Amino acid sequence: MEPLNFSAVSSAFPLTNTATTNKTSVANTQKNFASFLKESINSVNQAQNESDALTDKLARGENVDLSQVMIASQKASITMQATMEIRNKAVEAYQEIMRMSV
Amino acid sequence: MNLFSNTITTLENAINYSNQKQKVIAQNIANVDTPNYKAKTVTFKDSLSSAMNANVTNSKHMSFSASNASTTVVSKSGATYNNSGNSVDMDKEMTDLATNQIYYNALIDRISGKFSSLENVIRGGK
Amino acid sequence: MTIFNSINTTASALTAQRLRMDVISSNMANVDTTRGKLVDGEWEPYKRKQVVFQEQEGSFASHLNAARGTSSDAGSGVKVSKIVEDETPFEMVYDPENPDADENGYVSMPNVDPLREMVDLMSASRSYEANVTVLNASKSMLMKTLEIGK
Repeated sequence: MEPLNFSAVSSAFPLTNTATTNKTSVANTQKNFASFLKESINSVNQAQNESDALTDKLARGENVDLSQVMIASQKASITMQATMEIRNKAVEAYQEIMRMSV
Repeated sequence: MNLFSNTITTLENAINYSNQKQKVIAQNIANVDTPNYKAKTVTFKDSLSSAMNANVTNSKHMSFSASNASTTVVSKSGATYNNSGNSVDMDKEMTDLATNQIYYNALIDRISGKFSSLENVIRGGK
Repeated sequence: MTIFNSINTTASALTAQRLRMDVISSNMANVDTTRGKLVDGEWEPYKRKQVVFQEQEGSFASHLNAARGTSSDAGSGVKVSKIVEDETPFEMVYDPENPDADENGYVSMPNVDPLREMVDLMSASRSYEANVTVLNASKSMLMKTLEIGK
């Protein structure tokens, strides 16, 4: 009996992801989370500044649409909330670790 | 990290367009008795703006599209005029007004809903 | 150029239409006024007045933007640029008893046609109502905008 020829099958259905799976170390995960927090804080700053600029324009009666002001302020508020939650999680994780008895 | 999905950006653009349309409709109806007034309309120009970038050689030169608006106000083409040269169609403007108002309210409703659900998710349902 | 742009536009239209109605009512009131103005020692009858509407120019910034092709300015409404007197000739009515009759017994009456004034009044009134509708629509849109996120 002929040995089974797999080459035809494997060319028709090529195996993907034959490399070993990506194992992230604990250090890598921490780094990703820390970068999230930093990114968050930057985006909060940007969003708040934008919202402030538009609110200023509104108060001074310059050329701005009310919808733009409302949407920018809403975005700033949501970004702020998101950052607060991320900060809370980071602090929680730290406290959890500190609670561990050595 | 992109908190705000494409839908929210689309809604924002639509709200800006609707705002602009409201101003144009107000202007058209205000000028319904002005002789030689041509009715205006709002158009999108996103495909056009990419082709019109000025070659800025000096820092003091103004670029073509600094206002970042993707809508322009132009005079309506192919309009009929009455005997005083005015091309405002009152009935069309009034129906446009009603339509635009509903459109705008719907957009505001939707974007408000999206923001609330985003807030809810971030708060973790508390 | 504020958030109240479209409301300002509509307000200018309401003012203009009201002025037009005032002029029409002045015309109607003076439909029989044979002594309107003293010209060269002679009484001239009342001359019919008309308003001329003109689109209100935007600011310099809006013209600059229009020239650069980034026009996002709809305009700032309408204004009455001038009130002109109608130069159509006076109507001559035969009335020898009238103190203002000339030597042939004809009196010059004002060139006001009441029917035309009534039609004008109706048109002004309709335009005024339409602008009030626009004002209400703009106002309700702005109020709705304030509800984002509540």
